Amino acid sequence: MLSSTTKNKLLTLASILALLLVWKLLAVFLNQEIIMPSPEITLVKLWMVISAHNFWPSVGATLSRGLIGFLISCAAGLVLGFCAGFSAPVYWLLQPWVTVIRTTPVMSVVILAIIWFQSDIVPIFVTFLMIFPIIYSNVVAGIKNVDQQLLEMAHMYRVKIRRIVFELYIPSILPYLLAGASNAMGITWKVIIAAEILSQPIFAVGTNLMIAKINLETAQVFAWTVVTIIISFIFEYLLNTLENKFRTWG
Amino acid sequence: MAFILSNIHKRFGDLYVLKELSMSLEEHQLICILGPSGCGKTTLLNIISGVFPPDQGEISGFEDKSISYLFQETRLLRWKTVEENIDFVLKDRLSKSQRTEIIARYVDMVGLRDFKNYYPDKLSGGMKQRAAIARAFAYPADILLMDEPFKGLDLQLKTALMQAFISLWLMDKRSAFFVTHDIDEALLLGEKIYVLTERPGVVKGIISIDIPHKERNLHNENILRIEQEIYKLITNSGRE
Repeated sequence: MLSSTTKNKLLTLASILALLLVWKLLAVFLNQEIIMPSPEITLVKLWMVISAHNFWPSVGATLSRGLIGFLISCAAGLVLGFCAGFSAPVYWLLQPWVTVIRTTPVMSVVILAIIWFQSDIVPIFVTFLMIFPIIYSNVVAGIKNVDQQLLEMAHMYRVKIRRIVFELYIPSILPYLLAGASNAMGITWKVIIAAEILSQPIFAVGTNLMIAKINLETAQVFAWTVVTIIISFIFEYLLNTLENKFRTWG
Repeated sequence: MAFILSNIHKRFGDLYVLKELSMSLEEHQLICILGPSGCGKTTLLNIISGVFPPDQGEISGFEDKSISYLFQETRLLRWKTVEENIDFVLKDRLSKSQRTEIIARYVDMVGLRDFKNYYPDKLSGGMKQRAAIARAFAYPADILLMDEPFKGLDLQLKTALMQAFISLWLMDKRSAFFVTHDIDEALLLGEKIYVLTERPGVVKGIISIDIPHKERNLHNENILRIEQEIYKLITNSGRE
């Protein structure tokens, strides 16, 4: 008898193997490396990419842009979300801005950012515009869903406002904030790479992807893609761990 | 020193909630406000606690008094343990050592010693209400306001909680307003019972019970006689 976690792990493993198999079959069937490089060629290229002198500077630059964009968005989303959650006028003042930001196509934002800023800043700016509305809306929703009866209780027992904010509001919105953050984190890496491809900073995963594409090095495109998937995966894992940690009282 | 409400009127728009309501409470007395749902009992508690003022009438004796509450819902913070929940309301008023001592005492008295580090979601409904009772008594208040704290509980649980409540209350006899729609609860807890009519809430009658709490039960002859009296009051108001 297998436990259900072992069983699930086996299923995941089988699914990954199937993916590799389909990939391999497609590569054999098409038999054109420029369209569909095989897994083993990609693996060789991946090794070459990782051992290249510009690998760590590129990954480091992309990571720091992503994290800076993400953290600025979180901070702004938290502060403005709090203001809008508490004050209806602020909410309605911010609403049109948030809607415009939310509905503008990523590519329009990227192109405008390239016109306005230097190439290093573009991905950060674009990430901010994509991530901020998500964090902001989650914080506002969190505050609107704070249990009114608990608030009434705290006010009746004359608990100080500062403690009501830290011990009642913040824990109440934490699940919303973390859900928003893990959703946003996944989008961050996609947006960062897209912005880097167009803005072409000197060190960037996106720039390397673009160079590989121009040189018709499809295997290298695959290799860099694998790198971004790994980055996404690591951060998703970290945020999930954090989310579970905060759920201990459940 | 007594707490007095005289000639209170309150309406919300067209809704006349309380009318010519007068009430007085001696210090260390437990009064019961008995009335049907929607007769303005909760409005009355809100006026007493200063959430909003009455449209007309005077209240006196409540200035500078601190108040603690027992609600129908337990209103515990899910992310705090039983101990931390009590500490949440005490922290702004007492020192660390005072709090530790008081929390331990009240947690013990409601029988939650082994569960003091549990989060509310891990406790049964009855245990949560015990924690809320401990919080209400641990809070250094002059007045205790209770809004149907035993509503919707099964009989066995209700009896156990009421016993826990009475023994805590007898220790310092905190002046208390207890609002309920349940005649049995009023008979077992009230020292003075104000019977209210349906909306607008008007005092239909006042009944005093001077039987000690420990000797009360629902089969006691005197209690049954008082119950008859209350029924008479209620049915009379129904005919109007």
